[in-house]
Formats: sequence, structure tokens, C-alpha cells
Amino acid sequence: MSTPSSSTPAPLLEVRDLQMHFPVREGILLRAKRNCRAVDGVNLTVGKGETLGLVGESGCGKSTLGKSIVRLYRPTAGQIMFQGDDLAKCRGADLKAHRRELQMIFQDPVESLNSRHTVGEIVAEPFLIHKMGDAAWRKARVAELLHKVGLPANAAERFPFEFSGGQRQRIGIARAIALKPKLIVCDEPVSALDVSIQSQVLNLMLDLQREMNLSYLFIAHNLAVVKHVSDRIAIMYLGRLVETADADTIYRSPRHPYTRALISAIPTPDPTKKKQRIVLQGDVPSPINPPSGCPFHPRCPHATDRCKAEMPLLRDTGEPGQQIACHYDL
Amino acid sequence: MPASLSPIPADDAPVLSVRNLITTFDTDNGTLTAVDGVSFDLHRGRTLGVVGESGCGKSVTAFSIMRLLPQPMGRIAGGQVLFGGRDLTKLTPEEMLSVRGGHMGMIFQEPMTALNPVHTIGRQLSEVFLLHRTKDKRAALEMSVEILEKVGIPSPEIRVGEYPHQLSGGMRQRVVIAMALACKPGVVIADEPTTALDVTIQAQILELMQSLQKEMGMAIMLITHDLGVIAEMCDDVVVMYAGRVAEAGPVKKIFGAPSHPYTRGLLASIPRLEHERKTRLATIDGMVPSLADMPVGCRYQNRCPYRTDVCAQLPPVDQVGPDHKVACHRWRELPAYSA
Repeated sequence: MSTPSSSTPAPLLEVRDLQMHFPVREGILLRAKRNCRAVDGVNLTVGKGETLGLVGESGCGKSTLGKSIVRLYRPTAGQIMFQGDDLAKCRGADLKAHRRELQMIFQDPVESLNSRHTVGEIVAEPFLIHKMGDAAWRKARVAELLHKVGLPANAAERFPFEFSGGQRQRIGIARAIALKPKLIVCDEPVSALDVSIQSQVLNLMLDLQREMNLSYLFIAHNLAVVKHVSDRIAIMYLGRLVETADADTIYRSPRHPYTRALISAIPTPDPTKKKQRIVLQGDVPSPINPPSGCPFHPRCPHATDRCKAEMPLLRDTGEPGQQIACHYDL
Repeated sequence: MPASLSPIPADDAPVLSVRNLITTFDTDNGTLTAVDGVSFDLHRGRTLGVVGESGCGKSVTAFSIMRLLPQPMGRIAGGQVLFGGRDLTKLTPEEMLSVRGGHMGMIFQEPMTALNPVHTIGRQLSEVFLLHRTKDKRAALEMSVEILEKVGIPSPEIRVGEYPHQLSGGMRQRVVIAMALACKPGVVIADEPTTALDVTIQAQILELMQSLQKEMGMAIMLITHDLGVIAEMCDDVVVMYAGRVAEAGPVKKIFGAPSHPYTRGLLASIPRLEHERKTRLATIDGMVPSLADMPVGCRYQNRCPYRTDVCAQLPPVDQVGPDHKVACHRWRELPAYSA
């Protein structure tokens, strides 16, 4: 299987043929007879200082892919090459060492912060886990981090519920950057926020990236948000990537029929532009029982018999860096 | 009290008219005013968008119109909701029963919580018909199949026997729409109808609402925080901030020449596909003040880049154009708008 090409020579993260299957327990004996193929053979790379946007609808496996990469799950198969080591095989102390450089920001800033801990304790926890510094050092670092993400200094003594959604997401960001990571997996970091707060948090993330040379895997369903923060974008459908390209190419000349439908379905905040919406029929199929051939064929307006029988692999389109998993050139 | 803000010229009579609505909640911290003097009209065959951030009072406005405020905390403390020659705020709970579902339908955000998980789709839909249309259970079920077909549910005669959990999110929202439209109401209030849905499913639902409106001619009040949805769906729009109307007018005016600093701030802070990547987005500083802690005068003043001393007084409601109104002291002095 081909791997996506990248402008950077040695990528920070390279995911090769990653699979994450979950057993589906059924019947009286709860035997695992079938698998939910949440991630089913994904290849991707993230370069240093780069943002890879990962876009897809609910149930496409994008969050599972993100959680597998930070090893909150143990992948079924495939490799996660990060700084020369395969995270998929790491465990124990090795994994812990890698996690210093690999952090995650979660969607729900309410559920991802322990409500019984003060903000100071939450942000200092990474230091405790990795046994870094003494109490005074940690306190100074926490103050520094809170300042960096734009929270007041007295926030350290307060509890998460005292903060608004946007501020809570800033707390999550402070925790994620505490150990000066190289890569942060951001799972829908702004989708729970109001638009005026969303832009504040996105600006903060862009500033931090520039300042710390961070790489982001930015997972979201809102293509306009993803396009704004990403260098390259991967579109995921039913556990597989269907198109990858640099962010401007995806927007200017999307090649996969799913990408085209996705872009045309985004409501544009401009009433003078009356565009033609491509309305896809039906719902995303279940990854427990995926369709034969191309997983997109039941909803694809261009599907042929070949699409029903044969699974398309990612291939170059001719446009530099653009790959699609479709039999046809539309 | 702010004067009325009506986005539509009075050449044709509105189906529903909200006049100076004031809704309060009794809490442990005293009485909070969630909606403070909101006015607008709904017209037959037209869609009015109500947009604003969380806590701006857009949903409370909808629940006030439907008289579905949480009891006993929520109360309509003033104003009128005129519908079919009656003031809905004065009706008894029993009289409201015939209005709700019969003449006014509501589409909720979360289709899973809007449907009862222990009853079949058919039973829940039949209930609407049994309340308003017929006494015959079999006829009600037939009507249910018919309306499910209308909202694009495949094999409706099988679906009526299924439970909500057996349907996908998009299908469930279609059922909720079917319920709201069952008795061909004159007014439909849709509270964030597509927020819980994926973007390709959202496109299906928005298209369905548009085609049903074309066919049935109802007035739609569409509440959303998504300015993209407003631009694609609505004829007129009301921008709410902290319980008050900041600006109201035809959608092309509001997006093309916004006069309120808040409307401008909102429009500027959306990431757009055609923007240059990785540039800093415009932001609105700070956040919405809490209801218990509202500034005196203009409620947007602590976030507004154009604030002066005059903003400590209640802003007048000025006419920008024939059907375009704004509640701001300084709208005439703002720099010319460029998108």
C-alpha cells in the first residue's frame, strides 16, 4: 500500500496501515463474532511544525484513529512510527517516555477536566506523573503556562466549573503543552464552543504552534475550521482515508466524490452565493457491516459495478501531494 | 424598555407577532431576565432566523412562544405573543394544548431526547393526530405512515413499528419534523434542528425543510448559532445578544451591511474556506456577561471595540433602512463595512 508523500523529508509521525478493530459481543454468551472496523488500514504522516487536518463525519473513525495514535487504545495491527520508535508495540516505561512528547486535547472541556481538582492541580499533573521538579518549581511552571494560554494568575486556585467553555479548553491546552510536547492530537477542540470563542482558541493554538514548533493532528468535522488551521488535510470515510492533499488543493480542486459532497454541504455565511448543494442520499453505513468494494459506493452519485466489487486504494492524482481512493478521475 | 424591532415591513399581516417579550427565571440568586424586550414577526412562507451565542436567549424566546418554559421557575413577565387573533401569553394551559401541535409545531435540537424511547414511532406520531385530527386509531396510524413518507423516510409502513433507537440521527430528526408538521401548522419553530447532525445529513434536513415550506407555506422560525445555515435558509434574521435584539433585518442586509458591532464581530470571527490559511482570526474579546451581572446600558459594551461613555445608557432602536433596525448608539459612526 502506498504512503502519503510529505513535503518534509523525515516526518515526525508516520502511521502505516493502522487498524483498530473492536470486537462486537453478541448473543447469550457474549462471544465476539464480528468486528467493528473503526480504523481499517490508514496511512498518514505528520511533519515537524505541521498541522494535518483529519475530517470526517461521526462514526468514520477519526477519533479512534487519534486515540490509537496517543495509545489510549492498543491498535489491532499496523505501525505508529514516532521519532524512530513504533508506538504500536511500546508499553510500560517506553510508552510513558514517548507520551511526554505526544499529548492530546479533548473535545469536551467539561468532561476532560477532573472537577474535584483545582486548575493548578490539573495543569501540574503531567509534572507529577513524570516526577519533575519540586512543589515550588511546579507552581511557577503552572503560573507560566496559565499566562501563556491567557488565563488569569488566580485561576490555579479555582475549580474547572468556575470557568466558561472557552476558558476550560484553555486549561486543557495548558495541560497538553506542559511537557513541551512535539505532537498534539486535537480531537474536535473547538466544536463545543461559540463562534467568537472558537476564534480565540484557534488563534491561541496557531500562536503556540509558531512559538513551540508544535505539530498538530487536528481532528474535526468542520471543514472550514480544519482548512483554516491545517497545512494538509486527510478526509476519512468509514475507517479509511479517501483523499489527502494540501489544504488549499482540497478546497480548490477536491477529487473524491465524497470530498466534493462534503465541501458543497457546508453552509456558506454569504446569502449572495447560491451554490449547488450535492445532497448525498442515505446515512454513513456501519463499520460493523461495511459495504463491499468502495465503502462510499452506496451513497456515491457516480458509483458503477466496479465500485461495488473492488476496493479502491489511495493513488496519486497528478496534483503534487494529492491522493484519492477512487477508481475514477471525475 | 427597548422599542419594537420588526424586521419585516407591515405590508402583509404577520402570522405570529412577538411584542416586547420579557421572560424571567426565579433562581437562588434572585430573578434573572433571560429575554428582555424582544419583538419580531413571522410571515407565511418565510423563514426568520434567530442567531446568537449560547445564553443569548434565543431558545428561551422559542420556549416562551410555545409556553414550554420550565415550571415553576420560568415566567413570561411582560409582552405579547399574538397568533391567530389571540395573545398566547394569556391562554390557559388547556387552551395552549390545541395550539401546540395543532397550529404550531416545534422541532427540537436533539432528536433522541425529543422522542420517547419506549414508544414506537407510529404510536408517538398517532398521538398528535389523535389529539388534533381524529378519534380513530387506525386512521391516525395511516396518517402517520403518510407523513413519514412525506419527510422522506424509506418504507414508512415498517418504520412506524420501530423504536427511536432503531433509526439513525438523521432519520430521527425526520420523525421529529414529521411530528411538528403532522397537523399542517401555520408556524414551525425549529430550535437548532441540525446542530446534532453531520454536515451531509444537515444538508438533507435543510433541503427537506425548504421543500416542505414551499409545499405547505408555513412560517418557520429557525434558531441556530450557525451563520452559514442562516445565510442559506432564511429570508430575515434577528441577531440576539444577552437577551436583547442587537440587529434585525433582511438576511442580505445583515450579512452585506451589518450595522451592529456584534454582528460584525460574529461575521468576522467565522473561519471561511476562501480565507488565507493559518492567519489570525478576528475575535470578540472577553465573553458574554452572566445574566446576574449585566452591564447597565448596552449589554455588549464590555466587548465592543467602539465603546464610549454613551454606551452606559440604553441604546435606542434606530431604523437603518426601511426594514433594517439596529440597537446601537454609534452605528452611524462605525467605519464602512468590508467583508
